[in-house]
Amino acid sequence: MTINGRRVSIDADPSESLAYVLRERLRLTGTKISCDVQVCGACTVLVDGLPVSSCTYLAYEARGREVLTVEGLAHTDGALDPLQRAFIEDNAFQCGYCTGGMLLAAHAYLADEQDGDSGENVFEALAGNICRCTGYVPIVAAVLRVRDG
Amino acid sequence: MTAIGTSVARADGPLKVTGQVQYTVDTQLPGMLHAKVLRSPYPHARVLAVDATAAAARPGVVVLTAADLTNLDHAFGVALRDQPIVAIDRVRFVGDPVAAVAADTPEAAEAALEFIDVEYEPLETVMDPEAAAADDAPVLHPVERPRAPMFVGWPAERFRGSLNVCSGYHVEQGDLDAGFASADHVFEDTYRVPPIHHGNLEPHAAVASWDHRGHLNVISSTQSPSIVRLQLAEIFGLTENQVRVVVPYVGGAYGSKVYAKIEPLVAAIARKAGRPVRLVLTREEVFATAARHACTVHIRTGVRNDGTIVAREVRAFYDTGAYADTGPRASKKGGYLAGGPYRIEHQSLTSYCVYTNKAPAVAYRGFGVPQVVWAYESQMDDIAARLAIDPLELRRRNLIRDGDTFVTGDVLRNPGLDEALEAVAEAGDWGSPVPEARPGFAIGRGVACAIKSTSTPSNSAASVRLNADGSVHLLTSSVEIGQGSTTALAQVIAETLSIPVSRVTVSLPDTDVTPFDQSTISSRTTFSVGRAATDAAAKIRQQLMSLAASQLEAAVTDLDVDEGSVFVRGSRDRSLTFAEIIRRHFGSPAGSLFGDSVFQTRGGLDPLTGKGKASATWFYSAAAAEVEVDLETGKARVLRIATSADVGKAINPAQCHLQNEGSMLTALGSALFEEVVYDAGQPTNSSFLDYGMPSLEDHPLEFHSILVEHPSEDGPFGARGVGESVISPVAPAIGNAVAAALGGARVRELPISPERVLAAVDQQPEARA
Repeated sequence: MTINGRRVSIDADPSESLAYVLRERLRLTGTKISCDVQVCGACTVLVDGLPVSSCTYLAYEARGREVLTVEGLAHTDGALDPLQRAFIEDNAFQCGYCTGGMLLAAHAYLADEQDGDSGENVFEALAGNICRCTGYVPIVAAVLRVRDG
Repeated sequence: MTAIGTSVARADGPLKVTGQVQYTVDTQLPGMLHAKVLRSPYPHARVLAVDATAAAARPGVVVLTAADLTNLDHAFGVALRDQPIVAIDRVRFVGDPVAAVAADTPEAAEAALEFIDVEYEPLETVMDPEAAAADDAPVLHPVERPRAPMFVGWPAERFRGSLNVCSGYHVEQGDLDAGFASADHVFEDTYRVPPIHHGNLEPHAAVASWDHRGHLNVISSTQSPSIVRLQLAEIFGLTENQVRVVVPYVGGAYGSKVYAKIEPLVAAIARKAGRPVRLVLTREEVFATAARHACTVHIRTGVRNDGTIVAREVRAFYDTGAYADTGPRASKKGGYLAGGPYRIEHQSLTSYCVYTNKAPAVAYRGFGVPQVVWAYESQMDDIAARLAIDPLELRRRNLIRDGDTFVTGDVLRNPGLDEALEAVAEAGDWGSPVPEARPGFAIGRGVACAIKSTSTPSNSAASVRLNADGSVHLLTSSVEIGQGSTTALAQVIAETLSIPVSRVTVSLPDTDVTPFDQSTISSRTTFSVGRAATDAAAKIRQQLMSLAASQLEAAVTDLDVDEGSVFVRGSRDRSLTFAEIIRRHFGSPAGSLFGDSVFQTRGGLDPLTGKGKASATWFYSAAAAEVEVDLETGKARVLRIATSADVGKAINPAQCHLQNEGSMLTALGSALFEEVVYDAGQPTNSSFLDYGMPSLEDHPLEFHSILVEHPSEDGPFGARGVGESVISPVAPAIGNAVAAALGGARVRELPISPERVLAAVDQQPEARA
């Protein structure tokens, strides 16, 4: 598969989740596991541009696909993505454990918006990502600010 | 004054938005094994035999049972040492650890658990704290456990009943009978709060290893590195310098990670394995490790016709679950705060901390206080309704004021409570007509306020190091749990030294390096560690001025500090940068200056009278909610909410608002739907599939966070603290809004579920609907 623009080849057990492979085999620990049942969104990554819960998504299913994790959001020159900058400027996190998943869900939403076919608002798009410390107000503000340029 | 009161960007921002930030769960050490825990399927049972022979025979597997710990008194606990690392002869809740396994992978460890045979003899269970306090209840701990040295004990004997009452607290003033005799109305109700889950997204995690010096190294997600070090030293017979506790960034805690939780178990199995061992709890195990205290509150209040509260009696039963943990302290706090932030001449307040066969209840944002606020602020609106006094006005007439003596004997200085209350009333359009509801719905408004104290006495040390280039490190054992401590502490130092905030770096805890801090709890970090850091930075400032005085040939009293330089007042050209002062002092641009300080708060309550000095500072807060109720389904939805907190001085206003938002939304969840459910002793919703937490869709459409600033006497720049303030008034404000929407029909048990709303309406036929 391709992870953050780099082709990688992995020997993994067919039962291994994508989150497990990312975290334990590739040491991409920005992807977090919290509920392990596809509810909280902390493990959200993008597979071919679509958000998936990597805690229950088998690594096997990602064969030949493009995976984007939080480590791949910053640009190749090291500059932060506008969404990452907006999260910092708007204080859109506290403990940060939900932040990777939140950024990727927002990233997918913004990409859909750019294509004009999201069909949902930002509240619906991020409703699957739990933030317990809460930065929901600044999170929404940051995403809308990027959306509206 | 530039660094204070400014919402500077978080120091940890670049780490957190890129995934570079490391939490304990991300730790991997060479040769590290993974642990899994075998847990009791019974809520209460005798453990007759544990046979781990087959598991231990599997290749690469290390097993820990109580048989490995016979040479230690391994029961731990910060108040009572009652919680064994693994069960010795009895299990007391579903999920109680019985054995642990370490293996090369979590899967191999999990598989090995199947090969441990445990023989149980089920015992009678008790799940309700009031029933458990009765003298005929099944007893969980037949042998009383010793008190931990740090715990100033309350003699539990006074409060029994059953041995299940592991602690109690009582305070009184005036003459209760005379007070009630002078009342025109008496209100007597019972309010209940269920256990709820912290919802820390990062599960509890710890990695332990032992080196050949016999030193124990622990990396943990704890909120209490200094205390965990003490607890581990105590269990394993080590001195404090032989235990090292390192805490990376923590992915949410809210009290669930206060004091030792899984660290003793991980240390014990690592000792046996002779290799590093990591344990990361599953979500189900997090549910079995921590919860908020369920509580039953009996509250009786006497009121005069003019609304003056003259007497109050409260008896609160705190359900601490199978082990005491912080229960004796949380119930004490809830006990003395059960009368509320009101002038009440005659009071009798009693709390009981009671064992039941539930998962241990531990510290939880609010620390025993939201339970009693739910009771007294709900009842307040029943009183207002009966007396036909506006609920806001009723509170105004009874609020404590500057200089009042609290029931504990504390004198309250400069409380921002009235301002907090008026602010939410204004933001919530209190007094203006409630918007017209859609057909089939009703809308109501509610208001509530609260008072909370901070852990006292307590101790925080800070060590500030000025580098040769004029940049600064703060060494502290306070934990960055998301609250922004690494940013706020940098701000108070930057202010004290007149340097940019970006020139200050705040350490994470490493007990080999960073000085003692009581714990990252009780809204105390900005107040206590912030004060220690400010004092330590002031010592650096003093050293710089003394050095500069001789270097500039001026009197210290003529010097001042600004923008990283010391200068002679009135002649700015006679000025030296910090870097230049150090270079001249050491004769080379290398070396560092140190400033250390300890901030100790004094006080405590007398175990017999309940009086003394309860708190070094006080937190005041209020909330006003507007709620829509679906009259057909009973479902309540918060349309808008305003919260306010007296923070003393907002060091970083944006972070204060975030703390308020977090408190508000957690409290909203607890008000409307959060509950850990037990059926015959079995937890039935220990998964996020079944336990809902507020998502963006539950967020009120309109949210106001208001910061009131009545400076404290001892906090840095007047700061009080903000972490927990808002959690207490939100649930009763929502409950009062629901009752107002329903013409007075009141739900007295959390959560305010649709079923309970409909039942309350049914019981009150005159109510609208």
